[in-house]
Amino acid sequence: MKKIFIILLSVIVFAVVVKSQCNETLVTVCCSGLAKNATYLKELKVKLKAKEAGKKEPIAKYSLMLNKGTHYRFSVCNAKEFTGKAILQLYDKDRLLGSSYMSNKHFPAFDFVCNKTAVYQVLMSFEDGQEGCAVGVLSMIE
Amino acid sequence: MVNYFKQLIFILVIPLIFSCGNSSENNNSDDFSVPDSVLNEDDPLIVSEQAMADIISNISSPVEMSALIKESGVQFNYKYLNPTDNIDSYNTTFKQALNLGILGADLGYLNMYNKTGTVLSYITSIKTLADNIKVGQFFDFSTLKRLATNSDNLDSLMYISVSSFDQMDVFLRENNRSDVSTLIVTGVWIEGLFLATQVVKDAPNKEIEERIGEQKLILSDLLLILNNYKRDKKIFDLIEMINKIKEQYANVTISYEVGEPEAVEVDGVLTIIQNEKSIVNITQDQIKSITKEVENVRNFVVK
Repeated sequence: MKKIFIILLSVIVFAVVVKSQCNETLVTVCCSGLAKNATYLKELKVKLKAKEAGKKEPIAKYSLMLNKGTHYRFSVCNAKEFTGKAILQLYDKDRLLGSSYMSNKHFPAFDFVCNKTAVYQVLMSFEDGQEGCAVGVLSMIE
Repeated sequence: MVNYFKQLIFILVIPLIFSCGNSSENNNSDDFSVPDSVLNEDDPLIVSEQAMADIISNISSPVEMSALIKESGVQFNYKYLNPTDNIDSYNTTFKQALNLGILGADLGYLNMYNKTGTVLSYITSIKTLADNIKVGQFFDFSTLKRLATNSDNLDSLMYISVSSFDQMDVFLRENNRSDVSTLIVTGVWIEGLFLATQVVKDAPNKEIEERIGEQKLILSDLLLILNNYKRDKKIFDLIEMINKIKEQYANVTISYEVGEPEAVEVDGVLTIIQNEKSIVNITQDQIKSITKEVENVRNFVVK
């Protein structure tokens, strides 16, 4: 019985630790990595389960108003306790403008020089539909 | 064995008691005059909660407008701000929520110009208003206060300020208080537009004028979410006033030039340059009439 108690206690403690790593701590870590000439604007948190057999891979969708004449940076940070690596894609309606994953390579950030004020869509998913937790940080480059 | 289970229950229950304490305390909206009836099944929301979340997320960025103003070379001016002395007169949730948005936008403006000395009084006022509408827990007052005492902490100050507003917005929407969230966002938007119009009134600037014109894209969405709560007399009046701003935008046009995006590497960072362009056509007369109506709404909100 003592073993069951210890296991249950470990599960609770582990769950609390995982939760903190996957949320605000991750945002803080990601923001601390922003360049000196970057101003934080918004964070996009995502935690997705693994793709289920026969189903489409889970994708988180956000919409963002981006303004003409502004140089934006999309940074991506993954929670270490999950295997999934996040892919952040920027769309203008159905048109893909930029992605943090190109030619089988993950980029920690990409910039977008906006020349059209509009509502854009940001899609976040994990490579191969793996379970994952990540944060996308939108900042403005001076 | 019984002892182990007692300990387990203690471990499970105690954190729950502490973690839930705040939320039960914050679900009370005492004096807000928008009744729950506007949210019932007989009178459903015109705009879904998800659509509202998207719209709200698109409006709430006072930092960008302030950055544009600063980049234009216009000097900082206190006269554009809503003085914090006014907050004692805001005794309804309607006024508190709107002015929380107003002061939030002012805080963005102060942060952008590194006015850390004044930031402190705005943070204090924001905290007071946030406490009044039961969302004060999202403002880490002691950290903000500490950051505000040193201009080197601008990035952290900006992050915590923006993040606090975002968390507050999410909390309000998750707790069926989207009406309050909508009013905060409306306040942010009004103040952003007020700052921009006042700046170009003093020093005409093409980029800022264009940004003023671009608000046409947001205006209809903002009215759409406000219309969810138009049964409330105060919100109805606010909608009427914002509709007058909308009327001034009727002949402002936005056209688009097609172009393909290109990917280049700049200083080691993958950079996408958008070659599709938006062009705003707005006249000086239109700016003047928009400015006048924005002043009317803003005065109604802050008085």
